[in-house]
Amino acid sequence: MGKGEPHIVNTVRTLRFHAGEMTQAALAEKVGVTRQTIVAIEQGRYSPSLEVAFRIARVFGVPLEQAFQYQD
Amino acid sequence: MTAKEISAVVMVLSAIAISAWVAWDMTHGGLAASLSEAAWKMLWAIGYSIGLNIVAVIIGVIAVSIVQREEVKDERADERDKLVNGKAMRNAYFVLSIGVLLVLIWQALGLEAVFGPYALFGVSMLAGVTFAISQLYYYRMG
Repeated sequence: MGKGEPHIVNTVRTLRFHAGEMTQAALAEKVGVTRQTIVAIEQGRYSPSLEVAFRIARVFGVPLEQAFQYQD
Repeated sequence: MTAKEISAVVMVLSAIAISAWVAWDMTHGGLAASLSEAAWKMLWAIGYSIGLNIVAVIIGVIAVSIVQREEVKDERADERDKLVNGKAMRNAYFVLSIGVLLVLIWQALGLEAVFGPYALFGVSMLAGVTFAISQLYYYRMG
């Protein structure tokens, strides 16, 4: 939700797929956000706070940089 | 469509409906004769607006639930909701500030006092609409 092109990209959709096609609702429940927020993150329309980013990575058991990457 | 988006759409529609009703009343012989009467009328209009909003949100949530064949639940606000609300509030505050300033200038230039409450009502409705449209924009466009 910043100005210009987003620099933070993520692999949340892929991680969900590898986690047995976990639903967006299930991920939202585990992370403690709304399903719409997960949708917005996956579509690159919203960059979550560091805390939510860590929680997402923790749900999938991966390091933060595997879930979120910064692109120049 | 989420409960928060339904609420925003309803806020826009009810603000338009109440403003149209006030404008119609004003131009069809209902213009208040005194400042006090005008202020009371606008207070009632705001009261009706709140009541209409509550009823319309309930009806809207039921209608959308039926159309989507899935119950629309109002989830607890998370960090994105708070960010969207903050940005929408900033936009509404900007409109409200400019609007109030214009009303004061208008009054300073000799606007008949009885129009003051009408103008303030219009400004508050405009700020409400700005808030709701901003919410919709940030939810949809990010």
